Amino acid sequence: MATAAMGGGFVNVMKSVDHIVRGNGVSLLVKAAPTSTSGNFFVSLKRRGWQLYCSNSNSDSYLKLRDEELMRQCEMETFKASGPGGQHRNKRESAVRIKHLPTGIVAQAVEDRSQHKNRASALARLRTLIALKVRNPVPLRTYSPPAELLQILPPNSTLRASHSGPQIGPNNPKFVLGMQALLDLIFAVEGSVSEAAKFLGMSTGALSRLILSDGSLWMAVNELRASKGLKPLK
Amino acid sequence: MMKLRLSGLSCGVCANFRRPISLCYSNSISSSSAEVKPKIPLYLRPLSFSASLSELTQWHKWAKNLASSVGSSFVHLDNGPDSTLLRRELNWLLQDLLELQHHSAILSHLESGNSENVDVSVALRAPLEELYCVWRQRIEERRPFQYVVGCEHWRDLVLSVQEGVLIPRPETEMIIDLVENVALNKFPELAKGFWADLGTGSGAIAIATARTLSTHAHAHGRVIATDLSPVAIAVAAFNVQIYGLQDVVEVRKGSWFEPLKDVRGKLAGVLSNPPYVPSGDISGLQAEVGQHEPKLALDGGISGTSDLLHLIDGAASMLKPGGFFALETNGEKQSKFLVDYIENDKPGSFCNINIVSDFAGIQRFVMGFRQ
Repeated sequence: MATAAMGGGFVNVMKSVDHIVRGNGVSLLVKAAPTSTSGNFFVSLKRRGWQLYCSNSNSDSYLKLRDEELMRQCEMETFKASGPGGQHRNKRESAVRIKHLPTGIVAQAVEDRSQHKNRASALARLRTLIALKVRNPVPLRTYSPPAELLQILPPNSTLRASHSGPQIGPNNPKFVLGMQALLDLIFAVEGSVSEAAKFLGMSTGALSRLILSDGSLWMAVNELRASKGLKPLK
Repeated sequence: MMKLRLSGLSCGVCANFRRPISLCYSNSISSSSAEVKPKIPLYLRPLSFSASLSELTQWHKWAKNLASSVGSSFVHLDNGPDSTLLRRELNWLLQDLLELQHHSAILSHLESGNSENVDVSVALRAPLEELYCVWRQRIEERRPFQYVVGCEHWRDLVLSVQEGVLIPRPETEMIIDLVENVALNKFPELAKGFWADLGTGSGAIAIATARTLSTHAHAHGRVIATDLSPVAIAVAAFNVQIYGLQDVVEVRKGSWFEPLKDVRGKLAGVLSNPPYVPSGDISGLQAEVGQHEPKLALDGGISGTSDLLHLIDGAASMLKPGGFFALETNGEKQSKFLVDYIENDKPGSFCNINIVSDFAGIQRFVMGFRQ
């Protein structure tokens, strides 16, 4: 029944879910939708365990999906019970591990007390990882920063309009959308922070400070720069 | 009830840890009284106690060391928790003990081990001496963590639990997905009918089902939760009240279908997680389960199926045509046995019978519809 998966102790739940789907002709919460990857090209730049995927289709839309829609592109694995489980067992191991099938990105959460919460945490983590790892092409000649990127810029950016609202920080769930757009731009300008800053109407110093304000963003920019043979940002 | 107040913070507070649990709580229930008063879970108690940050740090260090001393000995003994899980439980205990807004700051202080602000007073929902006592019970008596804090997080609910009531299991969460995805999405009119959760325990299935029914438009579905245990009845009623579902969920005392004679042949759904552990397996259960949870909720007779068979028989006469049932079982053997029983002994009673696996791939649930 259970398909042992990597990572030790996790099993694949797709079989059981598939059973319900076939048996009743209705879908369950955790269903993998058939997702076509044709039209996307994934360039794997493996460096120190990091992978960068490039896509020529609009994969930024992953982040615009609602939670249920994104979950439908995922395979969910929960912690494998040792022994018969159910009434036999009292161990609050509600670990959840989700794999985003189109990109292969895996996110997990173990620290919460219910599977519901762990699933929500894992999904939030998946969104961050997609933002960090999936790159989308940016048309530099006609570039104007999207609204979600403007939202994370400091108020002194000249492109920021009054309707952009207050600056959004890393703790806001909307930050990941801006972060993805920023990384797309930096990727398009071959990792040059000063070039990217020009497109955003701000100084190189101000953009550097923004990048350094979030640890995972900082690390992603440096991975990207390293892949282009540039020195890390400090 | 006796109220134990101690001045010191000696680790020997509960040196004789075989003493009755009631000594650790001022609001314990008495099993002999006819009217059971449910315990208030730790997270709902007022912040009427305090300790200095250094006293709390001292307790936390002691509790963490006690958890670490377990290593994997319980795992080898009876597949119980290891020290990693126990330390995680300790963090959850702190979550329930402290004011929510200060939890993360205090936790990071406790983890960092720095000695600043040690005189700061921290508001607590239980006195420190009780914390020494209950954590010792957790480790040395293997008292379930959920009984220590008086609640369990289940789906999106926080349910009160106490000795005498089965702690709802994560596997059982899936019954609600079956109600939603198999029964209600396909047959929305079922959302208007009467549903029964038999042997409700904490009321978990009944409350989650009621909340699911209420998401369906124009649904006036009701849930009746039954249980034989007076403690379960009191706790389920308390949980129903916490979620403000008194008008939707009715808790009735009695064995299985016995209190449901007025809805015979009218039920839209029958749900249950009945006792299914074979009697011979009870003594080998992990200590948290076998020594602390009610046998009434675990022991399913010699093969573990006596209550399950009774429920199938009952469902045949209690469900209306098109009504849905879902039962939790011990796994593959029991599920197959039930399906065989339905097909051979109840021909024509049910249709669309299916076995559904839980998240660990164990064939946990049997479900179907009344013909």
